[in-house]
Amino acid sequence: MEAEVLFYIHSFPISKPLLFTWIIMAAVSVACFLLTRDLKKVPRGAQHFLELAVDGIENLVVGNMGPEGKKFVPLILTIAVYVGISNIIGVIPGASSPTENLNTTLTLASIVFLVGHWAAIKKKGLWTWFKGFFEPYFFMFPINIAGEISQVISHAFRLYGNVYGGGILLGIIYMVAPYVLPTPLLGWFGIFSGIIQTAVFTLLAVVYIQIKIS
Amino acid sequence: MLEIAIIVAAIAIGSGIALVAGGLVGIGEGYAAGKAVEAMARQPEMEGQIRTTMILGQAVSESGAIYSLAVVLLLIFTVMLPLVNRLLELL
Repeated sequence: MEAEVLFYIHSFPISKPLLFTWIIMAAVSVACFLLTRDLKKVPRGAQHFLELAVDGIENLVVGNMGPEGKKFVPLILTIAVYVGISNIIGVIPGASSPTENLNTTLTLASIVFLVGHWAAIKKKGLWTWFKGFFEPYFFMFPINIAGEISQVISHAFRLYGNVYGGGILLGIIYMVAPYVLPTPLLGWFGIFSGIIQTAVFTLLAVVYIQIKIS
Repeated sequence: MLEIAIIVAAIAIGSGIALVAGGLVGIGEGYAAGKAVEAMARQPEMEGQIRTTMILGQAVSESGAIYSLAVVLLLIFTVMLPLVNRLLELL
C-alpha cells in the first residue's frame, strides 16, 4: 500500500497523495483568504455559499452534540472541506485523490479518535473515562478495547475502500470502453459517490466524538 | 511452476468468494432504504432526521463490505500480482 514517490526534496520523498494534499491546502487557504476579505452584513455572491457551508456543519454538530459541541465545529468543517475536495479532485485527469491512499484516511480517523478521547478525559475526568472501558462488566475490557480500535479502522477503511474501489472500477472500464461510457461513471464515482462519502465520513466523525463524550 | 499456478488460482477464487459480502450488504442497505422510504411516507415532517439516521446505519453496516474489499485488494495487489509476474517470467 505504499504511495508512489514522484520526486525527492533532499532525501525527503514526495509522494502523490502528499503533493495533492499540499495543492488542496494551498487552494483552500487562498480561497479562504480571498472569499473572506470583505464580509458584509447582508451576504452577496460567494459569501452565501460560505455561510451555507458553515451553517450546515454547525447545525449538524450542534444538532447531534448539543451546545457543548460548538468547539468541534472548526475541526469537523476542516475535515469536511478537505475530504470533500480531495474526493472530487480525482475527477480531473492526471490528478489523484489523497483519500485514495490508506495513510491519509487513517490519519484523519486517528485525529477524530484522539480528539474524542481527549474531550472525554477533559469532560469526565481521567478515572471516569478509564472506568468506561470496564462497563458494563469487568471482563468486557478486551472487547471494549477491540471495539475502539476497530472503530478507527472501519472509519478509515470506509472512505479509502470506497474511493479506491471506485478508482479501480473506472480503470477497468477505461480498459474495456475508453470512449463515452466512462464520462457518466466518472460523474457517479467521482462526484456523487465522493460527496456521499464526505457526508458519511463527517457524520461518523461527529457521532464517534459524541459517543465518547456522552 | 504448478504450485505457483495453484496459489494464484486459489487467491482468485478466494477473492471472488470474499466479495459475496458486498452483495449481502447490498441487500441489507436496500432493505434499510426501503424502510426509510416507508417511514418518510408515513411522516414526511421527519424527513431530515430519517435520512440522516438511514445514511448513518447504512454507513456502519457497510463496514462488512469494505473489510472484504480491503482484504481482496490486499490479496490481489500485494500477494497475487508478484506471483503472476513470476509465473510470466517462468513461462
